[in-house]
Parts: sequence; structure tokens; C-alpha cells
Amino acid sequence: MDLNTTSNNNANGAVAGKTVNVNDLTSFPPNGSWLVTYPSSGDINVDSQSPDTFQKFGLIRLPSELGGSNKDASAFVAYSKVCVHLWCSPNYDPQKSSNPTYETYQCPCHGSIYQLPKPDSDGNLIDAGKAIEGPASLQAPPTNAIPMLTLSADANGDLWIEIPQWDVDHNGVIGYGRNYDSYQDYILPVAQGKQKAPGEP
Amino acid sequence: MSKPQEKGNVVSRLYQWIKDGLDRTVYMGVQYTYPKRFVSPLGYLGVLTGITFLVLGITGGFLMFYYQPTLAGCGSLTCAFASIERINNTVPFGWLLRNIHYTASNAMVLLAVLHMYYQYFSGRFKIKNEVLWVTGVILGIITGVEAFSGYDLLFNQRAGLAIEIGSSLANASPLVGGTLRLATFGAGFTDFVLRLYAVHVFILPMIMIILVFVHFPRYLVFDLPVISTVVGGLFLVAAIFPVAVGIGYSPSNPQLTIPEWYLTGIYALLRTEFDKFVMGGLMPALLFLMAIVVPFVDTSKKLNWKDRPFFTALGITTIAQILITTGWGFYINPNTNLPTLSRLYVDPALYFSSMLGVTVLSFAFTYAFLRYLKAKERVRRAVAPMGPLLTKKWVFIVFLMLVGAQLALNFFAWTAALTNLNAMTLFDVGAILVTFGVIMHLYRYSQSLPF
Repeated sequence: MDLNTTSNNNANGAVAGKTVNVNDLTSFPPNGSWLVTYPSSGDINVDSQSPDTFQKFGLIRLPSELGGSNKDASAFVAYSKVCVHLWCSPNYDPQKSSNPTYETYQCPCHGSIYQLPKPDSDGNLIDAGKAIEGPASLQAPPTNAIPMLTLSADANGDLWIEIPQWDVDHNGVIGYGRNYDSYQDYILPVAQGKQKAPGEP
Repeated sequence: MSKPQEKGNVVSRLYQWIKDGLDRTVYMGVQYTYPKRFVSPLGYLGVLTGITFLVLGITGGFLMFYYQPTLAGCGSLTCAFASIERINNTVPFGWLLRNIHYTASNAMVLLAVLHMYYQYFSGRFKIKNEVLWVTGVILGIITGVEAFSGYDLLFNQRAGLAIEIGSSLANASPLVGGTLRLATFGAGFTDFVLRLYAVHVFILPMIMIILVFVHFPRYLVFDLPVISTVVGGLFLVAAIFPVAVGIGYSPSNPQLTIPEWYLTGIYALLRTEFDKFVMGGLMPALLFLMAIVVPFVDTSKKLNWKDRPFFTALGITTIAQILITTGWGFYINPNTNLPTLSRLYVDPALYFSSMLGVTVLSFAFTYAFLRYLKAKERVRRAVAPMGPLLTKKWVFIVFLMLVGAQLALNFFAWTAALTNLNAMTLFDVGAILVTFGVIMHLYRYSQSLPF
């Protein structure tokens, strides 16, 4: 398995340098978010100094009502920090997550809002990272959803980032977009361990 | 002039020798005029724009001593931002240079726009001046890009967001977008900040200097009192409104930031949520295209704005539209309880109807005003010529007072510099330059008096 560890920065940009464990609900509680660098240089100091948003992702532990307390990788989503509208950096606002489809991952420049995964009528989570309001939501698919990383957890519960497939049907193209159903078709099954990422034995 | 002067002392002979030598150079192809009396600076706003360019070149050159166009390796801040902070807080006279540079950049954009509109309304761009006009528009665009690239170099939060938006707008342009983005943005911010630096300090200034040779007419007004006053005024503004460095850019939690005043128009256009390339690229391009084709459309032999009602009204319309769009870009609903989107949203229906309304109003106003002027002209009475404002005695008194003030200001500036009172130093130096301009003008004025 050729996987990359996550290198975690806390929301202030200072380096936390911790491995995320899906079983640990205290150091990274539901409805929290950390800044992640991918690909990581391997040196936490170098990562924290790099302002390159094309290598930054908002790692979000979902609110409990969306499965944020689950002890697997499906409790997390990792959204690109590059808005597909004009490449500003959206932020996760935990206070606005009481209504989980509104105002959670929002761009400060022109106000595009990306939703967290949303339960459908059967209770399955779908369409993570789709822009629901603002200029990004008015762009034609696949340029209306934010690229995401594919996450998985190992036997110890440590969170890993799978090697991304940078095309619109998998992890998306950063700064361009993603087909938002790739979450339920590819990213979520891998996180739940139901499907293997490409290249994995 | 070609024969060397035999008479006079050493100084005047040396002066004559240098002048004869310069006669063969390109500088003497331009005829400089030092007006004998005060003439309206509106006629030579281009020269003043050039003077601010010179101020920017000098201050910018010194800023290059300490600015670092790199990102990683300077602790928790990027090197670019850390070096700006160092220039601002530690480097001797760095605060002064940075504030003069910033204010001069704003002044240059403003003067270039005013220069364009004066040439437009006075009709001077017509009749064999088409090449000058078109190169002027291109110089104006480059001035804008130069200002934009300058404020990106700070790498504070506003710069970071502006870089992202600028490069994604380039990327959104059809056909050339991807190549353009790769050429400017490279593999990311580290490439970009270095390229931006090269563009800002060398490539664009070089292009501007080359274009200026095509843009300058052969007769230039070089009015020292006004130039000194303008440069001094620029220092005064820089001293009274110093600009903060801001906070260093970090992608972790950027907040709502309004761009510089010459870009808020584009910001308002983007907030209408229509297609980004159309609003952020084509709409501004339309304005520049209009400016470029004007001398080929307005081909009448009439120069005065009063005789060209349609083009006068068109000019007024563009001014009104630019002012409204720019103002709109600054406005963000102050109610922070509202979602960011509804605070930012510019309703296109409201925006475009106001653009249409302002067009109708501008045309109606211009035509009505011109009719009023014509009616007034018929009943115009002769105005008695003015006598001299100051007598010989008062010219002497004011002159001595100004020289005294000049000496006092020099002392104040010196003490302020010694005690590290940056804003005070800058203010005093500005006041010295303004006083110098007034003294020069007074001297010129006294020459016209019957002594």
C-alpha cells in the first residue's frame, strides 16, 4: 500500500503535527476542522510555511447528525481550499452547521457556499461539496462542486489520504471542479472500506 | 548654438559645452517649455504622470534592496511579507519609501485616468495624434497591471486573494487561458511571486519606457513650481494617510477583503454572479476597446467638447458608470448577521438598470447643459482685466516669509528624522517641496511685475 500520511495543521495555521485517529473524538471532535497539506513535503514546518492553496485542504469532521461520531473515515471529508469560482479559499464555519446544508464551507471573496454531504430519502449521504449558493453554484457541472480527497482508515483507526485521481469523476480537478456524485460513487465507499482505491492491492 | 561659446566664465562655458553635446542626443528632440506664467496643469497631466513614474522608479529601486521575492524559509511568515514588515518597521527610511511608493502608485493611476479624460474632452487626441492616443491607452492598461502586481508583492491577505482571483481569471479566458496561467502562475505561489517581481520591477517598466518614446509629443511643458507642489502634495498625502502592511497571507482562514480602489469596479461586476470571464474580463476590456477606437470614430474636425455633444455625453457616461461601479464595489452590507453571500450579492437587474439610467441621465444632462451654455454665451459680458494681485512690496514680504518657513521646515524635518517620527518627517519634506513650488511660482510671478 502506497499511502501518504496526513500532516495536520490546526485551524489557526499553526502546526499540530498529529496523526488523526478516527476513534479519538476529543482531540478532533465532530464539527471541527483542520488544515491539511497534500502532497505533504514530509516536514511539518515547511508545510505550514507554504501558502500554496492548491496543496491545502480543509479536513472536516462532520457534525454528529451526519455521522461525525462514526469510528471510520466516513466521519471525515477533505475539501480543497481552492474555490472553483475564482480560486479564493473557502473556510469551514462550525457555528453554521446546525442547518447542515447551509453556510458551512463558504468562500470569503464572492460568497460561494459548498454543502456538507446531505442525507437523501434513504438516509445515505450524497453530493458532498456541491455548491448550493453563490457564483460557483451557477456554473455548469462539473465546475460546480469542490474537489475532495479520498480518505481511509487503517486497522488502528489512523486516517490516511489515498492517492488522488485528479479527474472530474473521482477527486476532481483543483480550481476547476468535480462531478458531485463522485462522493457517493467513489469517495464514500472507499472511506467506509466497501471499495478499494485504484492501485491498491 | 553649434559654435562653442568663447565668452563667459568657466561655469557658463561648461554649461554651454554640455548643452552643445546634448544637442545631438534624443533628449533635445523634445522641446521643453518652462511657462512664463501659471498655466493650467490639466494640459500637462501626462508630464505629471511621468513625474510620479519617476518617483516610483526611485523609491521602488531602493525598496528592491530589502524586498525578498520568495516565500519559504522565514519562519511562520512568508519571506515576502516578512521583508515588507522589515522595510516598514526596521530599515532606515523604509517606512518613508514604502508609503511614498504606495501613494505615488495611486497618484499615477489617478493622474493617468485624469490625463486621458482631459485629452478626450479637449479633443487633443484627434488629428494626427491617434498614435499617441492609442499608446496612451496601452500605457494606461500597463499602469493598472503594474499597480496590481505591486500590491500583490506584499503577500498580505489582500494580495493572496488578489493573486488567486487574477490567475483564475486568466485561466478562465478562452483558448489562451491555460497557457497564460502557466506562464504567469507557474507551479504555484513560489513561482508566481518571483515572476511577479520580475514583471513589476523590470518587464513592465521597460515596456512603459519604450512606449513613452512613442507617446511623448515633441513639446512638453516642464513647470517646476507645479511639479514640486505635486510631488510635495504626494508626500503630504502619504504622511497623513499612511498605509498599513496588513496581515500575512495564510490559506487557513482568510476573511472578506475589499481590493484596491481601481479594482473595486471589477469586484462589483464579479459579484453580480454572471460568468466570471464575461464580467471580470470582457466588461473591462469593452471599456478599453471603446477608448482605443474613439479617435477613429470621432473623426470630426471639431476639437472643443462643446461642439461634440455626443462624444462629450459618452465621456460623461463612462465617468458616471465607472464611479457608480467603483462605489458599488466598496459597498458591502455591514450587517454581519447576514450570510456573506447576501452581504456581497450585487443584484444584476438593479446594477444594469442603474447603468442604463445613468447613461440616459448623462446624455440628457450633457445636452441640456450645452444648450444652457449656448444661451449664456449670447448674453456674455466683457470681464474687466485683473490688475496684479500683489505689489512689489508684498511680493518681497511673502517671499521672505516663505524662505523663513522653508528654513524652519528643514529644521523640523531634520529633527523629526532624528527622532524617528516617520510621518512627521514625510509631512515636513512634503511641505518643503510645496513651499519650494510656491517660492518658484512667486519668483516667476515677480518677473512679470513692472518693477
